[in-house]
Amino acid sequence: MKKEDTVKLISAEGFEFVIDKKAAMVSQTIRNMLTSPVSFAETEHGEVTFPEISTTILEKICQYFYWSLQYASGKETEFHIEPELTLELIMAADYLHT
Amino acid sequence: MSQPSRPKSPDDQTVMYIRVKRNKTTYFLQCVPSESILQVKEKLEELIDQPVNDQRLILMPNREVLDDSKSLADQKVENDAIIALTLRKDDNEFEEVNIIRPNDFYQSRETDGGSNW
Repeated sequence: MKKEDTVKLISAEGFEFVIDKKAAMVSQTIRNMLTSPVSFAETEHGEVTFPEISTTILEKICQYFYWSLQYASGKETEFHIEPELTLELIMAADYLHT
Repeated sequence: MSQPSRPKSPDDQTVMYIRVKRNKTTYFLQCVPSESILQVKEKLEELIDQPVNDQRLILMPNREVLDDSKSLADQKVENDAIIALTLRKDDNEFEEVNIIRPNDFYQSRETDGGSNW
């Protein structure tokens, strides 16, 4: 796994999540940020900061990306979401186009 | 008509991921159950520039130190498992497990009785 194949997502509290670019691209928003010729304020050196997304939510989202890749390759399992997270998760998912 | 044999690629059915945590960083690593701990450390080496000998992986929450020569499946590391990463310090000892957890999840959850909707 090379560093160039990964991207670092940073939450509001400054927690970092290093994931495969392939997983991150499940989000249309992130895909656009990373593939656009123009550089975005949020992305520098393969790092994307989300000042509005909390750590717990961002981790759940990363788990969703990987679950999504597994589901797409045929492994059909459930993605469990704790009820307390749903509201924030929906807002974040909307922002991330996921 | 048998399957051609090829080295395991990430497209295998058994592809899984683990979460390797240290301080405020979490590394999501894709792997397969038959991979050895040493192979996982080699992946980490590329990301964090620390040689495999200076890495120690510990399965949480039971704090079992993972053995380089065994596989993930052997040591019951499952999909989405949390593994603590500790590095060797200058005095040659390994650091303590230190995973910082966000406390945002529990604060300000007291809405005015609005959870029955």
